[in-house]
Amino acid sequence: MDVNIIYNIEHEMPLGILISLYFYLTGLSAGSFIISTFAYGFGMVKFKPLGKIGVVMATLLLVIAPMTLLVDLEQPLRFWHLILYLRITSPITWGTFLLTLYPMNCVVYGYFMFRGDMKRTKIFGLIGIPLALMVHGYTGFILALGKARVLWNTAIMPPIFLVSAMVSGLAMMTLVVIIKDYVIQRKKEHDPTLIYDLGKLLVASIVLDLILIGTDLTVLLTSHTEAYKAAVMLIKGSFSPLFLGVEIFLGSIIPLLLLLSPFTKRWIPGIAIASLLVMIGIFAMRCIMVIGGLSIPLS
Amino acid sequence: MKKKRYAMVIDLRRCIGCHSCSVACKAENRVPPGVFRSWVKIIEKGRYPNITRHFLPTLCNQCEHPPCVINCPVQATWKQEDGIVIIDEHRCIGCKYCLASCPYNARYVNPLMPIVQKCYFCRHRVYAGLEPACVEVCPAKARIFGDLNNPEDEVTKLLSKHPFQTLKPEMGTYPQVYYIAADADAMDPFAGRKEWT
Ligand code: SF4
Ligand code: SF4
Repeated sequence: MDVNIIYNIEHEMPLGILISLYFYLTGLSAGSFIISTFAYGFGMVKFKPLGKIGVVMATLLLVIAPMTLLVDLEQPLRFWHLILYLRITSPITWGTFLLTLYPMNCVVYGYFMFRGDMKRTKIFGLIGIPLALMVHGYTGFILALGKARVLWNTAIMPPIFLVSAMVSGLAMMTLVVIIKDYVIQRKKEHDPTLIYDLGKLLVASIVLDLILIGTDLTVLLTSHTEAYKAAVMLIKGSFSPLFLGVEIFLGSIIPLLLLLSPFTKRWIPGIAIASLLVMIGIFAMRCIMVIGGLSIPLS
Repeated sequence: MKKKRYAMVIDLRRCIGCHSCSVACKAENRVPPGVFRSWVKIIEKGRYPNITRHFLPTLCNQCEHPPCVINCPVQATWKQEDGIVIIDEHRCIGCKYCLASCPYNARYVNPLMPIVQKCYFCRHRVYAGLEPACVEVCPAKARIFGDLNNPEDEVTKLLSKHPFQTLKPEMGTYPQVYYIAADADAMDPFAGRKEWT
């Protein structure tokens, strides 16, 4: 039967690129923090050079990230209401505490690391891991608890966010090490094993990420009609160029090929390109989730 | 006096799709251009000569379990004892999470001043003994407003006598806006959208 909409109202999308950017930055921060604890928390000595870079990046990113949130508020000067009138059922309230505790812990952890106090570094590194996981996991809950939006309202959202945070964090760290070794200090001799090891971890995390995305899509495709429509939007609808083209092909498949093929996996520029593509792919993922999720009609 | 439980019945056997309610709402609540607290969705079904129009006046459903309230981080929006969901415009920080959480597209950011707003059953009128503007102005008397806790009230009688629908019951929001004889396609956000079929 023919159905035509003659008149309807759709209000403007409430959230957009700034919130996607916020999710992206917290993800990068959590990822780099966890990498920094490989050596200082878990004693994996080969990752030692990443400890200090990791904590500096994690702290810097987590200082910038809440700014994007603040700018996105309609009433930024009322931000203190978040502490005064908090409602515990809202994941944004969880974020209020995490965004306060996590950077403080980062600073303390970094302070002891730079002072060379290994015992305290380890303690604060280990305290920081659940915090880092939560600071990014809660952003997954912001989407998951928005039950009006079918693309968001899934229990797999927080794990997807955590894994993609790891992916983007590893890619950024790899890129930072490459830039440090081959651009800034190119006069010196460097041992590339660390970069190769990071590459291997990156491969593992990309594969895990793809598995989670595949799981999400499979369930969406076979669930109720609205979920099915959301999945179709990603696969062949308005968001397919971004999803299939950028997130999956450029951001996962090409980097996997570069990092696994025997011709390129030891080729530093190849690894650099792979990392950059991964970072772009994860940013695309954040935009698809936030903006794609909101573009599904409600009325 | 017994607690009130305000609700609205929209009887689509009567609605003529005149948009008077939308206009009255705009005027009463000074709703700026581009945004709406209440509007009448219109769809057309079938092919000539077998064709009909269906209307769906919409507004905030004053949900019994409002996701907007659960997700507001600063308790700037809440459900009153009488069932009306309101916003404290002085407390709201404008994070817009409630806009993202409402399954009915009922909230908006005021384009003239940075605050979040929506329909609240014209509570300023109700407390003064009047009906909401949309109800008072409806020439077909398709909108009926009243107290579900009062068995003699017209809304209670209508809902006890007629089959009714609510929007997206699967969301578990328990809307307090009830429709009589609503069309399934008019209630379906996807029906009639070519790009979504
Ligand atoms: S219709 Fe939307 S704004 Fe109104 S109470 Fe329900 S969730 Fe909240
Ligand atoms: S925009 Fe205002 S009312 Fe809505 S969730 Fe944020 S603070 Fe609460």
